[in-house]
Amino acid sequence: MTKLHEMMSLFGVTEEDLKRLISIALSKGGDYADLYFEHSISNELSLRDKEVNGAGSHIDYGVGIRVLSGDRTGYAYTEITSLREMEKAAKVASGIANGNFKATEPIVVFPLLFTPRYSALLPWEDHTISDKIPYLQELNSLIFEADKRVNKVIARISDSTTKILFFNSLGVIAFDNRPMASITATCIMESEGKVENGSASRSFRCGYEFLTKEVINEIAGEVVNKTALSFEAIQPSGGEMPVVMGAGSSGILLHEAIGHSFEADFNRMNTSIFSDKLGKKICSEEISVIDDGTIFGNRGSIGFDDEGVLSQKTFMVKNGILNSYLHDRISANFYKTAPTGNGRRESFRYMPLPRMRATYMESGKSKEADIISSVKKGIFVDNFSNGQVQIGAGDFTFFVKSGYLIENGKLTKSVKDINIIGNGPDALADIVAVADNSQIDNGTWTCGKEQYCAVSCGMPSVLVSKLTVGGIN
Amino acid sequence: MTENIKDTARRALELSLKYGCQSAKIVTDISTQSSYTVRDDKLDRLHQSTGSSLYLQLYVDERYGCYSSNRTEPGELENFIKNAVTATRLIASDPFRSLPPKELYYKGGKPDLKQFDSSFENISQPEKSRIAFSCASEMYKKDKRIISVNSEFGDSNDYTYMIDSQGFEGESKETLFTISAECSVKDKGDSRPESWWYESSILFENLKREGCGTKAMERALARLQPKKMKSGKYTMVVENTVSSRIISPVISALSGAAIQQNNSFLKDKLHSRIFPSDFYLSDKAHLIGAIGSRYFDGEGIATKEMNIIEAGVINCYFINSYYSKKLDMPITIEGPSVLTCTPDGKFTSGVAENNLDAILKKTDKGIFVTGFNGGNTNSSTGDFSFGVQGFYYENGVILHPIKEMNVTGNIVSLLNNLIFTGDDPRKSSRWLIPTLAFESVDFSGT
Repeated sequence: MTKLHEMMSLFGVTEEDLKRLISIALSKGGDYADLYFEHSISNELSLRDKEVNGAGSHIDYGVGIRVLSGDRTGYAYTEITSLREMEKAAKVASGIANGNFKATEPIVVFPLLFTPRYSALLPWEDHTISDKIPYLQELNSLIFEADKRVNKVIARISDSTTKILFFNSLGVIAFDNRPMASITATCIMESEGKVENGSASRSFRCGYEFLTKEVINEIAGEVVNKTALSFEAIQPSGGEMPVVMGAGSSGILLHEAIGHSFEADFNRMNTSIFSDKLGKKICSEEISVIDDGTIFGNRGSIGFDDEGVLSQKTFMVKNGILNSYLHDRISANFYKTAPTGNGRRESFRYMPLPRMRATYMESGKSKEADIISSVKKGIFVDNFSNGQVQIGAGDFTFFVKSGYLIENGKLTKSVKDINIIGNGPDALADIVAVADNSQIDNGTWTCGKEQYCAVSCGMPSVLVSKLTVGGIN
Repeated sequence: MTENIKDTARRALELSLKYGCQSAKIVTDISTQSSYTVRDDKLDRLHQSTGSSLYLQLYVDERYGCYSSNRTEPGELENFIKNAVTATRLIASDPFRSLPPKELYYKGGKPDLKQFDSSFENISQPEKSRIAFSCASEMYKKDKRIISVNSEFGDSNDYTYMIDSQGFEGESKETLFTISAECSVKDKGDSRPESWWYESSILFENLKREGCGTKAMERALARLQPKKMKSGKYTMVVENTVSSRIISPVISALSGAAIQQNNSFLKDKLHSRIFPSDFYLSDKAHLIGAIGSRYFDGEGIATKEMNIIEAGVINCYFINSYYSKKLDMPITIEGPSVLTCTPDGKFTSGVAENNLDAILKKTDKGIFVTGFNGGNTNSSTGDFSFGVQGFYYENGVILHPIKEMNVTGNIVSLLNNLIFTGDDPRKSSRWLIPTLAFESVDFSGT
């Protein structure tokens, strides 16, 4: 039995079943239909009060059936993959077309060949809770040993293995095993009546090989440093000022300030602030921004997207020019271009939408130290928790857990718990220096556009000449 | 259908005990949803689904695990539970984990809370579609500055069944109907501000069908040509659509988990006056017809009406059976059902007198916040910083929208600067939080 047939067997379908469902889905005149089968097993193990005393496992199973009629979508899903239930769902989805019966052409089936973007060398299903417990215990010990002020530690290992079978009316058939692993740690410290908290995480698409002493050491060191820093930190004076975004997690700036606004569903509806900017210069020629689904093992990587399009590295901004939106099949058809492999979804319960993968800026030529020393009065930020954007108005925000004041070119007092707000096109145009230190942040970034999706982001250190920093007056 | 999922729950409970659990709780639910989305003048999305899930809380040799699956065929379910029990045995013991005291369970016999509309199945697809189209038509091409409109009619029907090995049995049925509208308008330059509105109701006949699109359009047009204001201290009036954002950090800080983990800015503040004397938070868990009303919580414990914060004094934390043992505190409620905020503890659902207009007039001038853009709160300290959108007003009259501004401070300090609590909560919301006004709030702008 081939791996494809094993996957079809898992969902209890044959090639003829798949063709029949597509035929029903298109029976009212839709232009395109696809089937997205998913079987997901996720596990979590948690430590609290110095004991690994919480465990859980979750199974989710079903198929989503989508019909496109122009840029309109009919969608239904069922958790029961009997032919009868799937036919009912296909009929519901077909209703978007609402036309007369149309006989579909015979579908010529061809498997989608794709380059693996991740692997589970040691599959999670081969490892029990007992194999994971020592890593949480070690993480707990390291955090407590690192600082006497540590009062509580909450830590968690999560893993999931998702099996996907995809088929569409173009005859594309594809299957994939998508692993995901993450560790998060939250540390509470208390000193002289003050309490502070901090968090750190790592996440990759990989198997049990993810769990190493090195990754545990990294997380322990990071969470202790972040929390300890908060005791000295202040909420600064607010207002407009230069902001140096540190390398790595500052990629949240790209995700919020421009990434969402480049998602082509907003642009085809003319509701994005970047709707008329394709092919135009929007920032310094030194800047190139990429959304990449091909970084091996990255949290945002995919072999193919959730509508059967190969993953790719997409230049959103190339040398300062808006080069490409992020497309799903609907928007690609609207713009008469090829989809970019950004059609993603949380699960079979959701229809795919244009979503980011790993979004980052390429390195420039400056040195981070030189950028900092060029700022007389401003702020340096490199630790974030969340962000948001208003697509049409372009106003974006991100919440800074910690950073530093810059005074006369030097990092001075630490700052914390401030929101920074800016306007996407203005902020991009206001990037006046780009360092040579681009790096991807491998935290548990999750995007919440209508549905949750695993992503990542990255950035070199950059200087934004003007953003509005929250603070006390 | 409901009998099927009851059978599944009973079978899961039997299997849990058979494979070694000393006790267990099983929750099954089934949910039917549909939505009809109109963009401009065309049906854009049609979505229908029915899903079910099985949740298991297993107590094995003083160990605890939480599992779920939507695969409930007999053989597969048995294997899943067998593996779950085995996995739970591998973790450390936690003697504080157990089912709650039986005497606290809801025992039935109370009046119907009117959470379910029996006409749910009778509402036709064409009617649902018509409602969405009608909403869109209130906006579409009504102003030349409009560039895109979206409207959606959505409904859901949820049935939940819960049993445990101590004999608890409870079920709930809930329906919800929602109309929502979004409108994008073209401003000078490239900006395309947008706004929204929604109406929700448990009963289809009570759903306010007219005006939702118009309201979204008016709100979007009002956002044209915003101005960034100077940083400084301003009076802040927070609209009842988003005022729960201010209350939410307080509710999180009152949770037993946050208290026990030393991660709450309200730890060790029980029975202390922390907030102003005209600040009351209450849980009206049995408010008939209110979204979220319920007779039992997630543990099966009977809910009751509670004054959570009374005249600024914290009356209770949210303590479930687990944190009751860990903190050696009595069980209260696991969390609010229908949260209300009033200046005197007297919640009424009559005509609002102290509404937004009245409060804008009383506060003379300041910033009227209609939305939050990102931001967060430090759970240990209560320090917050949020992006805001809204309007600058003087003499109770809105002058212009604002842009790119943050509000920063500490939640406890902010609430101690509370100057007005409205009586105008939106009934479409689960939390009934009215318009709130605060003085001397730090805004960051130019």
